[in-house]
Amino acid sequence: MKTLRTLDFEQVSPGQALPPLTKHVTVEQIRQYAEASGDHNPIHLDESFARSAGLPGVIAHGMLTMAFANQMVTDWLGNRSLLKSLHGRFAGMVVPGDDVTCSGTVASKDDGTRRVVINLVVTNQRGEKVFNKGVAEAEFPPQRSSTHAA
Amino acid sequence: MTDSRWVGRSYETAPFEVTEQSIRDYMAAVGDVGEDEELTAPPTYAMVYGFDAYWQLWTDQEVALDVAHLVHGEQRFSFQRPVRPGDRIRTTGRLTAINARNEMELVTFELKARDAEDQPVSDGTALFIIRKA
Repeated sequence: MKTLRTLDFEQVSPGQALPPLTKHVTVEQIRQYAEASGDHNPIHLDESFARSAGLPGVIAHGMLTMAFANQMVTDWLGNRSLLKSLHGRFAGMVVPGDDVTCSGTVASKDDGTRRVVINLVVTNQRGEKVFNKGVAEAEFPPQRSSTHAA
Repeated sequence: MTDSRWVGRSYETAPFEVTEQSIRDYMAAVGDVGEDEELTAPPTYAMVYGFDAYWQLWTDQEVALDVAHLVHGEQRFSFQRPVRPGDRIRTTGRLTAINARNEMELVTFELKARDAEDQPVSDGTALFIIRKA
């Protein structure tokens, strides 16, 4: 299990790419997400219901994809408390068996407010965007000698 | 088409008691298991403590959204503070817009989550797309 360690604000620079994060989505993970979130909408769980609703089969919750994008950003920040906002569009469906890759780039950095803006996109194994126009904002704590602010 | 007279209707959750187990179940489900110095929910856990507000909207028999054809189109969150075990969070969701676009219907739902001291925890805006049957 990885221990998160807060990124040094001085190490952030505009144009910098975040380490990408790839996830293999399975029926089991979608079921586990439904349990953990409470969202048991049958389009995520029941193959015949999903088809009757005009879908190719069960689809992953959009919020599962957004959670992956969230994780890519907070793994890089090394601290979940720094994330101040997250936004994006669910541009395509994610189905079991898909490999989705989250990518992010530092769009801007403000030394005064210690805020950083990150642009995000999630693509599937065919390069199709499943989450786009993603933006995350983080705010780093005030500069201090110890980096162990909680 | 959903009747636009329901714009403005709001839903409130009961206080959601955040537990270590609930946070860890969510972390395991999404595969985000890195350890902060102090256990802190991934920010998108806002969907868990606020879920009942979404559920009340989706199952409101008067508004009668066509949920079989509903997909999540867009989501925005802002986070005012980290969420940890012991928090009691109440979320209010408000149906703020119903718009037709092409062959689809767009439903906007705005959420505000507050803690036991009535201080802000997070805000959210969900845009749902209802595809034609």
